[in-house]
Amino acid sequence: MNNTQNILTQYIYPMLPPHIPKLLMQLPGKLLANLTEIRIRVNQPLLLVVGNHDVMVADFGQTTIAAQAYHCTMQDLVKIFQVMCKNSVYAFEPELQQGYLTIPGGHRVGLAGQAAVFDGTVKALTRISSLNIRLARSIPGCAKLILPFVIDSINRRIYNTLLISPPRCGKTTILRDLIRQLSIGNTNLGIPGVQIGLVDERSEIAACENGIPSIDLGPRVDVLDACPKAKGLLMLIRSMAPEVVATDELGRAEDTAAIQEAISAGVSVIATIHSRTIYDLYTRPHIGELVQHKAFDRYVILSNRLGPGTIEEIYNTDQEKIYSHANEVKVCG
Amino acid sequence: MWLKIIGSIIIIFTSTYIGFSLASRYAERPHQIRQLISCLSALKSLINYVAVPLPEALSQCTCGLVGPVTDFFHKTSILLHNGRLTPQAAMDQALKDSKQLVFTQAEREILTSFSATLGSMDREEQHKSLELIHEQLFRIQKDAEIRCEQNVKMYRYLGVCSGLAIVIILL
Repeated sequence: MNNTQNILTQYIYPMLPPHIPKLLMQLPGKLLANLTEIRIRVNQPLLLVVGNHDVMVADFGQTTIAAQAYHCTMQDLVKIFQVMCKNSVYAFEPELQQGYLTIPGGHRVGLAGQAAVFDGTVKALTRISSLNIRLARSIPGCAKLILPFVIDSINRRIYNTLLISPPRCGKTTILRDLIRQLSIGNTNLGIPGVQIGLVDERSEIAACENGIPSIDLGPRVDVLDACPKAKGLLMLIRSMAPEVVATDELGRAEDTAAIQEAISAGVSVIATIHSRTIYDLYTRPHIGELVQHKAFDRYVILSNRLGPGTIEEIYNTDQEKIYSHANEVKVCG
Repeated sequence: MWLKIIGSIIIIFTSTYIGFSLASRYAERPHQIRQLISCLSALKSLINYVAVPLPEALSQCTCGLVGPVTDFFHKTSILLHNGRLTPQAAMDQALKDSKQLVFTQAEREILTSFSATLGSMDREEQHKSLELIHEQLFRIQKDAEIRCEQNVKMYRYLGVCSGLAIVIILL
């Protein structure tokens, strides 16, 4: 049984009504091995995203004719949602307000439906009509290529690093492995294991279950699970004395303020952000200022050109290219 | 003669047992309602303060207590853990399975209406719902205590006395 089939059996199938796993189990193992998303929409065909394309699922396997495909029902979505949030909407209130849930194993489930809005803010999501189950994979070694670029062996510190890519390009997978490798240390690169504080706001990186990471992140990582990034970064700096703090998906003003404070406090930062190039970041509010003030020492650009986790380019603090995929390509995920 | 004596003793013991068991239901009810209120208060804290999901919260809210009420919460928790039941279905099933509970229709109706919205609302609404249930149960507890005081002694005496009366009539 390969990695994806393990994930499906252990984490995804128990969340779905029994007839859907039955349909999926009929599909060829090779197809399931490359599965990245399961999309379930009311009265629409059950869709699997495999690599860069999608396939519809029918009783007899995959199909290209929508009429033959299994059409998901409202009942399916209600039951899936019920199981995923453990019949406890209140326990996932902040996540639901942002339109997602994270299930055991760190797999993120995107939700769409009817938003209940009060005073201009989304109070809750009701009548869920679409689900997107995104399979998270831990791929030990996928950040090996980046590792030498983020270590300052002269000053024996870790560079402030920003991983940049559009969604579904393997940012979280690369970040997870980078944290693991830095936590273990690398004698060849002259860096002992470093103390890392990880703020895992969406419970995706460490996939904590009852506060304990279910994914191996090495021996020197303190995880603050389901905590807002900005508050979590400052809490970790004050309480756990990390050498490096890491977090996923920067965006809000308070996130960039916290990053700035961490860097000023002498703590290295590793973070990710949605963007296509560094230049796109210049025009972005808040984070643009950080980039212009050269807060980061390394910018790693990822894409899914050759599969999620393709490392396209690495830039230094002056935005000079220090690595390009032209001669070497590393594919993860 | 011996048969008459043995028969009389059996009649007195049986009627006393019936009287005491009826009395114990009245004595047990306020105790179980108190435990229910205590468990629901703990559940309120677990939902409001730490947002523990229902299956875990229902088993954790009984800490320190033993008896049919804690068994009822554990059964509900297990049913939610195992199956694809809604909180209402799980709680109804657990109520049916918990034969030791001496709840009357009033408590059962309160629990059924409470479980209908359990887990499907945000923390604030859940808090309001639990506050309301708490108030209703508090009133029922007072009433159960009054009934307990009135009826416990009466059923015990009635059990013994009716046994003696039957023996006297038969002799």
